[in-house]
Amino acid sequence: MTRADITLHTERLLLRRPDARDADAATRFFVSDRAKLINDYTEAQAWRAFAAEIGHWEIMGFGMFAVCQRSDPDTALGLVGPWFPPDWPETEIGWMMFQGSEGKGFAHEAAEASLRFAFDTLGWAQAVSYIDPANARSIALAERLGAVRDDACARPEPHDLVYRHDPALWRSTVPAMETTA
Amino acid sequence: MIQAAPTLTTARLTLRQPQAGDLPAYSAYCVSDRTAHVGGPYSDVQAFDKFAAMIGHWTLRGFGRYVILHEGRAIGHAGPLAMDVSHAPEMTWTLWTADAEGQGLATEAAKAVVAHLFNDLQMPALIVRIAADNAASHKMAVRLGATPTDDPAPHWLPGARTYWLRAKVNA
Repeated sequence: MTRADITLHTERLLLRRPDARDADAATRFFVSDRAKLINDYTEAQAWRAFAAEIGHWEIMGFGMFAVCQRSDPDTALGLVGPWFPPDWPETEIGWMMFQGSEGKGFAHEAAEASLRFAFDTLGWAQAVSYIDPANARSIALAERLGAVRDDACARPEPHDLVYRHDPALWRSTVPAMETTA
Repeated sequence: MIQAAPTLTTARLTLRQPQAGDLPAYSAYCVSDRTAHVGGPYSDVQAFDKFAAMIGHWTLRGFGRYVILHEGRAIGHAGPLAMDVSHAPEMTWTLWTADAEGQGLATEAAKAVVAHLFNDLQMPALIVRIAADNAASHKMAVRLGATPTDDPAPHWLPGARTYWLRAKVNA
């Protein structure tokens, strides 16, 4: 299944499949101190990790969205969305906001759209977010999204925290409209 | 950005961009001893990541490694790799299974890709890196017209020999 052209819109944001326009911003983020909580990458590894984000889309039919302001769809402010590589115990909604784009509610707005997309369009039965215990800002976002910490389930890294999203908060309560073009 | 042809054809082969459906065959290769020359064997998880990066490379650079189809079956990959743009792209080729060997299929694929890169895309040069003990690949590099150098081996492939392929060889 390919969803090459899927784009989500929120009040302020446009979420689209990442591409070459986003490589510099994503690579800069992946090598920054802020990303050390996720991975400790060299520049070449960071570029490669972003390439693999794009490949995840092709293989899985979904992936992390490039989050842009609606007024500037060429500039990614971060990567937010569904993520499910083969070593993930469960389907995840992840978020990474690039330098200068935090503190504006963008991650929250993009995560809400991603959760609705995952439960309604992808038909996920459950979604979690894996968060480093030192990442207070990310934990606060998970809690603001209504996610509840689950200490019993499997996780990619032993020290990760798992926040479990409640499908009932995000699934449409009205019958879904056919949205195929 | 360079835009390489999405598909190349030779007498016996079709070369096309990697697709999701190639992952099982690619993973089987990655977890096998056939990757011993290139840092393997790898796990299924690593194979997914490597294959995902192979796909994304095309999106980000406009060129990348082609999957080699022979009689409708994916048997390997061949093409340029440019994780790092500070030097010439690295020409790579691999057959995924032993039964594809010995028929000149890798050479046929690599020649077609190199000709496209040099003649159609005007790339000036490529490097080739081959593990010291990979005799078949050393022979193939010579068949492609590559020149061996004494450049130091990269840290991820100790003892490897670096070759240069230059456009004039194929002109």
